[in-house]
Amino acid sequence: MSNPEAQAAQAAHIALLEQLDIHHTHKSFRNPAWRPNARRNKNLKAILGDASRKEASVNATPQDNSGAATPAAQDNDGLSTSGTSTPAVPSASGTAYLQPNLAQASRSLSKLVLEKNLSAASSSTKPFSNGTSTAPTATYTNIESAPSLAPLKHYCDVTGLPAPYLDPKTRLRYHNREVFAMIRNLPQGVAEQFLEARGAHTVLK
Amino acid sequence: MAPSAIEEALNVRREAWRDLPPPTLYPVKEAKFEKYLPPQLDGRERALEQPPGEASIVIDNGSHSVRAGWSFESKPRLAIPPIMSKYRDRKANKTFSFAGHDCYADTASRGHIRNAFEAGTGIISNWDVMEHVLDHVLIKLGMNGVEGAIDMPIVMTETVANLPYTRKTMNETLFECYGAPSVVYGIDSLFSYRHNQGSTGLVVSSSYSATHLIPVYESKPLLSQAIRLSWGGWHAAEYLLKLIRLKYYTGFPGKLNSSQAEHMVRDFCYVSLDYDRELKGYLDWTGLEDRERIVQYPYTEEVVVQKTEEELARIAERKKESGRRLQEQAAKMRLERLMKKEEELEYYKDLQRRLVDQNKKETKRLLDEAELKDEAALERVIRDLEKAIKKARQKDLGGEQEEEEAPDFSLLEVPDDQLDEAGLKQKRQQRLLKSNYEARQRAKLEKEAEKARLEEEARRDEERRINDLEGWLEEKRQARLAKLAQIKERERLKADLGNRKSLASQIRMKNIANLASDNPTTASGGRKRRRGGDDDDFGADDADWGVYRSVAIGANKGDSDDDEEGEEDLEAAVRALEEDLLRYDKTFSYDQTLDAQRDWSKSLLHAFRYGPRPFDPASAAETHRLHLNVERIRVPEVLFQPTAIAGVDQAGIIEIAGDILTQRLPGLGLATDDFLRDIFLTGGNTLFQNFDERLRIGLTPLLPAGAPLKIRRAQDAVLDAWKGAAGWASTDEAKRSRVTREEWLEKGADYIKEHDLGNAFAS
Repeated sequence: MSNPEAQAAQAAHIALLEQLDIHHTHKSFRNPAWRPNARRNKNLKAILGDASRKEASVNATPQDNSGAATPAAQDNDGLSTSGTSTPAVPSASGTAYLQPNLAQASRSLSKLVLEKNLSAASSSTKPFSNGTSTAPTATYTNIESAPSLAPLKHYCDVTGLPAPYLDPKTRLRYHNREVFAMIRNLPQGVAEQFLEARGAHTVLK
Repeated sequence: MAPSAIEEALNVRREAWRDLPPPTLYPVKEAKFEKYLPPQLDGRERALEQPPGEASIVIDNGSHSVRAGWSFESKPRLAIPPIMSKYRDRKANKTFSFAGHDCYADTASRGHIRNAFEAGTGIISNWDVMEHVLDHVLIKLGMNGVEGAIDMPIVMTETVANLPYTRKTMNETLFECYGAPSVVYGIDSLFSYRHNQGSTGLVVSSSYSATHLIPVYESKPLLSQAIRLSWGGWHAAEYLLKLIRLKYYTGFPGKLNSSQAEHMVRDFCYVSLDYDRELKGYLDWTGLEDRERIVQYPYTEEVVVQKTEEELARIAERKKESGRRLQEQAAKMRLERLMKKEEELEYYKDLQRRLVDQNKKETKRLLDEAELKDEAALERVIRDLEKAIKKARQKDLGGEQEEEEAPDFSLLEVPDDQLDEAGLKQKRQQRLLKSNYEARQRAKLEKEAEKARLEEEARRDEERRINDLEGWLEEKRQARLAKLAQIKERERLKADLGNRKSLASQIRMKNIANLASDNPTTASGGRKRRRGGDDDDFGADDADWGVYRSVAIGANKGDSDDDEEGEEDLEAAVRALEEDLLRYDKTFSYDQTLDAQRDWSKSLLHAFRYGPRPFDPASAAETHRLHLNVERIRVPEVLFQPTAIAGVDQAGIIEIAGDILTQRLPGLGLATDDFLRDIFLTGGNTLFQNFDERLRIGLTPLLPAGAPLKIRRAQDAVLDAWKGAAGWASTDEAKRSRVTREEWLEKGADYIKEHDLGNAFAS
């Protein structure tokens, strides 16, 4: 750091950083009294877990089980073969059972109080709309795509080419014998990484 | 075919790459800092000029970019990634915090980057980062002058079926922290659809965090029929990164990160119209140079210091000198060992002579003295020693010194008592010299005999070839096959050692157990030593150490002293045989040789990793190159076959679209054809070349013949969401749907009013 050029560059860099910095900028538009909840940062799993717990407690309280929320309404949607109306994410444990109630909850009395300004106007002409109608409301978990029903093609885990073979030792799919020779000479653990790219690795719990 | 012709044909094939043009290299691209962006105060001034309630701040809050601007303008003012970085600079002794692209301005800052969104989802999981990014956005929009609260309504996008918790926390932030007068949320892809004048159709939105398909009927989204496929640009980039790491699993010297992978996906990947057919021929040698894309990572060429002739000569001399010294030392050591063995041999031979006419008891006593069991053991020892000496002499043949004069041995004939102190010393030295000299002489003789023997063998071989070519060839072929089998056997053994149940492993385990046990039975020595004390004299016999060789995995890595020939020897032998066969056997061609089979121009994996040109591992430029070939179509293909390629257990985009169009919509009593007329693509991840065409090819077989299938792309798949939101922000519908601060306080933390571009209210 002895030569003046480097020093100047360094100083310029610091000046730039100070210009970019917004830590020390006074932000007048913020409410100075704002104190966020210290535990507001939650990951997806935690949020879904909390939601399903809440759902379970709602379920425990007696509810008016009439009308559109009967399972028959569910079957209407069940015509679809994709099965997407059932939740595909196992993390929201128990939602499969809770599903009718979830839909029902959204239509329960306490919710009906809330205004649905636009749907109210349109529901008279259309048999369906956002939250009303026969299908359950879309939730983060139940709009997830279901597993594929199409036959699965096999591709080489190394090269991505079509793979007619499967190595029983490493469980890798491979294209030809040259690739086979390579996968048999892989260092420890690398084969598992190849499997992981295809989501077929062993997960230890 | 004459040998020269063979070589020529060979060269044509191997040299074909020379006709290729020089490779096109693409530089690495990654997210970087561009320049300081001053706060834009004019936007706010213009907003204040608008009639009250007309202007709003529009934020497309995407997981790839947060785009923000004013509702009355046609373009967002800024687009930044939703990241922040906060750290303490030691040199400046100051805490810095940046948001968006500014995070890339400094290396220390780059290491502290945090993302507002949970990786690979559209869900915000880090609210401190989100707040910071919004701070940045509001500063740049010129809002840093208002006191205490934002005085503009906010229009913001959110993901399809956003979680109530996320919306609740966002509301909290916007109302409590920024004091916004009102907020309205909408779905980005629906805004984009609206901006492109869509009213009935299927919106296919593939963005950074996920891919959504939403049917829209007369401008109303059928959210209950929407489907999400958890694959987007982020996943594609991570997947490509994983593939690259695996492709060069032995170690790529360049620094790889996901931002680079993102750029590669954007620049080089395209959707294949017929994946399986194109894939099959992707690594074919013809045209591979056009199919592959080479990314050159920065590298420093190793500087070779040019040395003068003189210096080089001096270095060579020095090397030779030290080499000679070492050789001399080694030769001396070998000689000493040889002499010791010869002495031993002499002793045992003498013992044998003495035993000739002794009685039993005396014999036993003499044998015990020499620590031998019986006469058979003695004979064996003698035989072993003779063999060892012979072998050692033959080894010595290599670096033998030139002829030397016989030294002076005059004192040896003089009895000891006639010599004084100095004389005795000299005599001892002379004795040593003499045996030394004699050993060398014997070695030389043997060497000559060996040479003669080899010559004789070669001559006989030659003779045989001339007289009986067929037989000779057959013999060579057999020998070659035998050697190949040997190589294979060795490889098999090596592989077997990896398998616990194989015989090789079991023998090894037995050896280990034996070595570890308290009273090992020396399996290899064969000599039973049952003399008392703790000292089993393991190691007294050199052969004892052989047990470790069989215990060590990869048993062939033994030092050069080993009597078994190394792998190189086997291969060299095969090569020599092949050379002979190439010369004299018409049916044997180059293609059959070991070299040809290992030639890079035949290797699929070479084509995969290094393309159609040879690879020089010593060149820094070439080791710092990424060759993308199959990946170019493999990565985007995940959207169509998520399970088969990336192991995502969901249906592909075509299957989903087919399901919505042919099952779900008719189930609701809607005409599929209305939707088919407008399949709308939006989102950055749909920008791949051929995406629309592939979707058409995929959907056609699922639909009735003559179905009016029409697919169109958004004018600007990336920015239309923001533009749509800005265009919508001042409509009556938008104004009706605003949730004011009072309503929020009254009706709940995640309360929204439903409208045609937003999510349904679900708790």
